[in-house]
Amino acid sequence: MSLLLPIAVLWPLLVLLRSGLVQAMEQGGMRRHEPRRELLDGWWASAPLPALILALWPGELSFALESWLLGGLWQYDAARRPWLMFGALLWFLAGCYARGYLAEEQRCAEAGDESAFRRLLGFSLFWPLTLAGNLLLILAEDIPSFYLGFITMTLAAYGLVVHTGNHDARRGGLAYIVMALCGEALILGGLLWSAGSAEALTLSELRAAIAEAEQGLWMATLLWLGFGVKAGVIVFHVWLPLAHPVAPTPASAVLSGVMVKAGVLGWLYTLPLGDAEAGLARLGEAIIAAGLAGAFVAALLGVVQRHPKAVLAYSSVSQLGMLASLVGVGLVTPGLWPALLAPVTLFAGHHGMTKGALFLGVGISEHPPRLPAWLIVTLLALPALSLGGALTSGLIAKGFIKEVLKEGGHSTLVSWLSVAAVGSTLLVARALWRQWHRRGEPALHWRSPMLLAWLFAVLAAAGVPLWLPIGEPGVPWPPLKELPGLLWPAGLGVILAGLVLLTAKAGKGEWEKFSRLPAGDLWWVYLVLARWAAAGLTTVGGALQLGSHRVRASLVVKERRARAWLDDLTHYERVFTHLAVPLMIGVALLLLLGFWLG
Amino acid sequence: MSQPWLPLFILATSLLVAPLIFVLPERAWRARAVVNLSAAVLKLVLVALLVWGFYQGRDYSFGFTVVDGAAFFLQVDALGLMFAGLSALLWLATTVYAIGYLEDSPNRKRFFGFFSLCIASTVGIALAGNLFTFLLFYELLTLATYPLVVHRGHDKALQAGTIYLRYTLSGGLVLLLGVVALHALVGDIAFGQRERLADLGPEAHPMLTVLFLVLLLGLGVKAALVPLHGWLPRAMVAPAPVSALLHAVAVVKAGAFGIVRLVYDVYGISLVHELGLLMLLSVIATVTILYGSVKALSQQELKPRLAYSTVSQVSYIVLGISLFGPFGTIAGLVHLMHQGLMKVTLFYCAGNYAEELGIHRIDELDGAGRRMPMTSLAFTVGALGMIGLPPVAGFITKWYLGMGAVQAGMSWVIVVLMASSLLNAAYFLPILHRLWFRHGPAHGHGNWPEERNLGRFETSAWLLLPTAATTLFSILVGLLAGMTFSPLDLATFVATEEYLP
Repeated sequence: MSLLLPIAVLWPLLVLLRSGLVQAMEQGGMRRHEPRRELLDGWWASAPLPALILALWPGELSFALESWLLGGLWQYDAARRPWLMFGALLWFLAGCYARGYLAEEQRCAEAGDESAFRRLLGFSLFWPLTLAGNLLLILAEDIPSFYLGFITMTLAAYGLVVHTGNHDARRGGLAYIVMALCGEALILGGLLWSAGSAEALTLSELRAAIAEAEQGLWMATLLWLGFGVKAGVIVFHVWLPLAHPVAPTPASAVLSGVMVKAGVLGWLYTLPLGDAEAGLARLGEAIIAAGLAGAFVAALLGVVQRHPKAVLAYSSVSQLGMLASLVGVGLVTPGLWPALLAPVTLFAGHHGMTKGALFLGVGISEHPPRLPAWLIVTLLALPALSLGGALTSGLIAKGFIKEVLKEGGHSTLVSWLSVAAVGSTLLVARALWRQWHRRGEPALHWRSPMLLAWLFAVLAAAGVPLWLPIGEPGVPWPPLKELPGLLWPAGLGVILAGLVLLTAKAGKGEWEKFSRLPAGDLWWVYLVLARWAAAGLTTVGGALQLGSHRVRASLVVKERRARAWLDDLTHYERVFTHLAVPLMIGVALLLLLGFWLG
Repeated sequence: MSQPWLPLFILATSLLVAPLIFVLPERAWRARAVVNLSAAVLKLVLVALLVWGFYQGRDYSFGFTVVDGAAFFLQVDALGLMFAGLSALLWLATTVYAIGYLEDSPNRKRFFGFFSLCIASTVGIALAGNLFTFLLFYELLTLATYPLVVHRGHDKALQAGTIYLRYTLSGGLVLLLGVVALHALVGDIAFGQRERLADLGPEAHPMLTVLFLVLLLGLGVKAALVPLHGWLPRAMVAPAPVSALLHAVAVVKAGAFGIVRLVYDVYGISLVHELGLLMLLSVIATVTILYGSVKALSQQELKPRLAYSTVSQVSYIVLGISLFGPFGTIAGLVHLMHQGLMKVTLFYCAGNYAEELGIHRIDELDGAGRRMPMTSLAFTVGALGMIGLPPVAGFITKWYLGMGAVQAGMSWVIVVLMASSLLNAAYFLPILHRLWFRHGPAHGHGNWPEERNLGRFETSAWLLLPTAATTLFSILVGLLAGMTFSPLDLATFVATEEYLP
């Protein structure tokens, strides 16, 4: 059964290979005249299925391969199960959704539009590759495999982000790849340093190594920041609002639902959470502070955005900030971590599925199905309210977290998180509002794969606590008397959103003034800084080159002089010939003298 | 059991082929191809035999005295075997490539003749058993590569050739001085007799330090250490197979290999450590790595960018050996192989683009991934490997460099690795972006500089096959690094031999 592990990872790659080969054969001209085959066919959509089957497997599996990299070890255990399950599920749903979402491009491609075909081909190849990386990083236990999965996912997702190929997409892609590479460098440094300090090869050895190492604080900081790029830690979050709006909607869904969670998973895999001897409380406090700052700042920046996907991206930053602050608790109060892991996992699963459903919903509001408007609005609002913590999985996850944190004596954090939840509600309200503004004409058939996938995602997101296997003793339902304490942030958020809406209606245009703030806030500052740095580097480089030119020129001059001097030596030859006879006679005389005397 | 003839045979396969090729008439390209290829295959088989025999514990030393005190001496050790194996493998690939590349061009006889001589000297360097023999082949290499560098014969090539000779001959002279001085100090040292210098005692240390620096200066020219690297980017005017070989096994690698020999087999790592010279080596390597990368960023043409990338990458080897401890050694040695495989792939690709589409500048590469998918895929693999991403070979190097840095207590090296990874990404990823994501002539925008349609596939099969083979090897040695006989396995073998006597 442990073969299921490599199959789950390899299946997307086989799908990729199949797509590539089929296209290569068609390009070969053998079947030029026949109509082009469907690129995103059933096989293509099946890519995450083996992983989904694996996630339903009840036992624990492990798969070792000695000749793989530096010794491969892939594991499937209770800690990985929920991540694999919601990840694979969302990938599958988004894949089905993509078949409907990209149907128009498919038609263009079949009709002979070459650029649509190229775009679609790229999508059909990068999608399974990204998926394979994502699955590998979840299942890997040895560090090189984990890093391989992480980097594959990161780089391949670039192809998904720049799918449309227009100016905005290229800018989003640039922000994405530059930030991601900075993150990679930090991760590489952190991994090498910590693994080197104890010659660790597996992730559990790595955690132990950081806990024991003298400079564990710095190693952990590198890893926190490195994975933080993916997990949208404030200051590094700029790629999210730039990349999400431009990516195709199913890609945004997996990007925000699953891939940013890879950053959180990276923290869980590498930081010595719950290790009382690690002594990383200071770092934990920093993580909590940064997380809360992210949660608030992102909410403020997000509500003035116009593109619904940009608003949702800021909402992801905000939610991930809350998640990060919980991870920080694992370092500040290690004793609490075993109890906190389950709610953290639940929260991650809830956010992944709900945000996925919300992103998929953006596409639905752009191409609404022929269903009653109230039904669609309700279905769109359901995950939104859940994300705000007012309903279903959101409510339960928040209740669970609150309970554990209160028991652990982190009441202040609970209050902060509650306030942040007001921001979350505002953000999703803003997103829905912008969606309403950009709604399209109802055209979609109710049986289209896009709609069905979205419906299923909404339902699955609502029921996350029911099916996500977070282990014993399961998810506690919040008692009735706790409800007011849990519901007030969402209620306040809704009321605030309503007030803002009313004032916006009253003073038309006033509100839009705020909306000039471009998505990606700090990215523009970074750009200016980078330009300065590049200009400075060019100046220094020019000066260096000038200097080396001078040195070389002076060396050449010296060499020429030396050669001229050597050439001059031949002039002495004539003098020598003149002197030869007297010289020889002189030497002979001296010799004779010597013999005579000796 | 002693079989001294085997190393001699290996040398002879390429040394004797050279006159044979010079004798064949210029037009007989089929006969020449057959001679070339059979010699390359034969050599690969013989080296494989040597590896097998070496693992069986056979002795392959061969030597005779040239003049009193200086002996010609060949011996086979794991380090030399690695280098010999690499050069045999890449010679075969490059011969195939060169046959395709030079089709219909003049002076092929001269080219292949000196090409064989060049490989003969590389193998000689690999199997040399003492400094005298090493120096012999090292100088032969300089002379054999000059005609290859100036092969095209135009002004720019001749000028580059002059600069090449000026750098390498002065380097060789300095090296000669060092070798003679060392000989005067302790006599003839076979590689591996580290105790000879270590036994001299502390009063000889200043002298040994000076000699080390002199030898390093001599070897550093070929290894393209900053600031002695000036010849390398200019030598880019050579034909692509020559550049590939120059960068992957022959000249640059010979310099790096020389430094490895100097540190491990002449001085011994403990003595170098005692002299405090490892720190110097790591600083030189760091400067070279960063400077090479920054310079690569500013290049607008493909081959010079690859050349500066070599300057940077070869110093990983020096950096590896400067990290005191087995992991650093493994990193340095394994990169000797890895860099060769990856860089040869990149140069093949550059050659393919130039031959098929006439592309020399990076901004002409827009959309080339569509026109030449196999070549572009190979280039992608090579570039990702250079950045140090798994599963390509470069990752293994980077991993062991990191381990070695921590082991040697020089954690700052990790920062260098991070910076170098970022810089590598900064100059390779834009190329990949152009290849795959930009629209160019293949999408109906503009024209290729000089399209030639050389073969049934995207280009001639002679060019494509070696590229595919080295690409595959670059991935496999990374992906299956844990296998026996993988470069990592061999490097670990050498390192344990070095550290656990």
